[in-house]
Amino acid sequence: MPYDLNYYLANLVVYFLIYCALTLGLNVSFGMAGVLDFSFITFMATGAYFAGVTALGPATAASELHYILGLNLPFPVDLVIGATAAGVLGLLVGLLAIRRLRSDYLAIVLVAVWTIAWSLANNLTGLFDGTSGLIGVPQPLEPQLNVNPNDYVFVFIPIALVVIAVLFVVSYCIENSPFGRALRAVREDQDVAAAFGKQTTRLRLTAMVIGSVYAGVAGVLTIEFLTAMNPNAWAIVETVIVFSALIVGGRGNIFGAILGALVVRILIIEGTGLIPPIPGHEELVSAFRNIFIGIVVIAVLYFRPEGMLPERRRRYFEAVRRWPRRAAGEQQGG
Amino acid sequence: MTIALHSVGFGLVTASIIALAAVGLTLQFGVTNYINFAYGDFMTLGAYLTWTLDSAFNLPIWLSLALAAVLTSVAALVVSQVLLEPFARRHKQLLFILIVTFALSLILSNAILAIWGGDYHEYNVGLETPLSIGPLLLTPQDLGIILLAALSMLGVHLLLTRTNVGKAMRAISDDKNLASVTGIATEQIVALVWIISGLLAGLSGGVLALDVVSFDPNLGVRFLFVIFAAVILGGIGRPYGAMLGALVIGLAVEVSVVVIPAAYKLDVAFVILVVVLLLRPQGLLAVAGKA
Repeated sequence: MPYDLNYYLANLVVYFLIYCALTLGLNVSFGMAGVLDFSFITFMATGAYFAGVTALGPATAASELHYILGLNLPFPVDLVIGATAAGVLGLLVGLLAIRRLRSDYLAIVLVAVWTIAWSLANNLTGLFDGTSGLIGVPQPLEPQLNVNPNDYVFVFIPIALVVIAVLFVVSYCIENSPFGRALRAVREDQDVAAAFGKQTTRLRLTAMVIGSVYAGVAGVLTIEFLTAMNPNAWAIVETVIVFSALIVGGRGNIFGAILGALVVRILIIEGTGLIPPIPGHEELVSAFRNIFIGIVVIAVLYFRPEGMLPERRRRYFEAVRRWPRRAAGEQQGG
Repeated sequence: MTIALHSVGFGLVTASIIALAAVGLTLQFGVTNYINFAYGDFMTLGAYLTWTLDSAFNLPIWLSLALAAVLTSVAALVVSQVLLEPFARRHKQLLFILIVTFALSLILSNAILAIWGGDYHEYNVGLETPLSIGPLLLTPQDLGIILLAALSMLGVHLLLTRTNVGKAMRAISDDKNLASVTGIATEQIVALVWIISGLLAGLSGGVLALDVVSFDPNLGVRFLFVIFAAVILGGIGRPYGAMLGALVIGLAVEVSVVVIPAAYKLDVAFVILVVVLLLRPQGLLAVAGKA
């Protein structure tokens, strides 16, 4: 294969892997627990910015960049810090919003959280350099390996692959665990779940924090691969697009989440990226692409709300077959 | 002290813009029982239509505003009858319809981007000299905005209290099924409310653009949570509450400029929103039951 095509395809693999972190994360908070996380992309940005300022050296007057921290720490410390920051923000927002609010009020607060975070990131230039954002973030292992910048993508793919594999396994375990079952129960009917002794608020909060951590990891990988991030990368439409990907693929199903990332991020977004821009109207292609994504997600919700790969319906006897002793214990113990 | 008094004047202008938008949003919620997350984009549509009528067709600004509001309400009617109401009838889950309005926001904002481009726009109106009215300092445009909001609120009040259609709206808002079995044509009334909601969204977006002078396709989306704050402060689905909420939020946002930098003034609305949701989520004027 020609070198350019290889390079292009390798980049697509990275974009796809990063997007899997987003859809898998939203699959925990929205897909399994039913939390309408309309500020989802804020947690992606939080992870990215905190990883950026962890990996970057201190801001100097000469560079004319302004940001906090500047710890100059290597990968994967920045990954841990970015993911933790996103999780902590998710926890704070969740404590504020999930505790007492019904789902539409919750969605309002989450949209408001995005608006505030976005306006702060733009206006408080001392935080993450305002509208210009962070640039020149070091790439993982790049100083140690000293590879040609054009070959770096082939170093990054295994890194991203390992990270996404971990996220996937964690998602798989959650989906098939008592915790995942409790999340689905809360999603279907909070009152019934509460009547069965489930702590619905704590479950929804935990799901939201896990989703935020996933989004944070996606943000870390994004900024470490692209070496830059500014507020345009996390406009509110990006949240709608992640929701679209998960809904089209199949919410509540981890394979659906991955299929959605493939269809929306690679087929639709990268596919339309091949259309040459119209001179003088550079935004037209992306505008029509976003309109198309909006129409697709509404059509899917109308005609096939379970998505391309529907969530597997669980039956009680399946649990009995798999864990006979536990099921027997539950029957005896009540 | 003078600055504080002047900011009260600006607060009245901001409160007028919020009131127009908040009443439109809350009336629609009252009869449909779901929040329209694309409402901000209907406001933006109103602003751009006003701009086109004002700049391209050289119509006077207030006539442009009125025509743009009518066009926005047509758009709201079409979208509601073709998309939102059929969807809400087919799928009862609240989550679905909320995501649909969120996706509708993506569609509308990008349609606006495709038609008018991403650059900043300004109306073709000159700068006006502020007039001293008592202790306040307001331009004739500011007075126009306040007058427009006051007349609109009066109109909504008369509609709700003096007409059968308005009484039907209140009945549907209280209990849709009960209203339906008493012979109220709920679907037609809901369609009418969408027209009014679109009209108010168009007007508020148009005057918001007049107030902030230069605007881009994110005009309405950025302002949306301020409207939510006013709507929730007054109790969601309650038009008089929304008017009160708009007054409180408008004044709070503008008077806060005395102590905090102006770039963060809208964040005050967020603080109020969060405090209200935590302490009194049913709103200031709400009664038990419909929260």
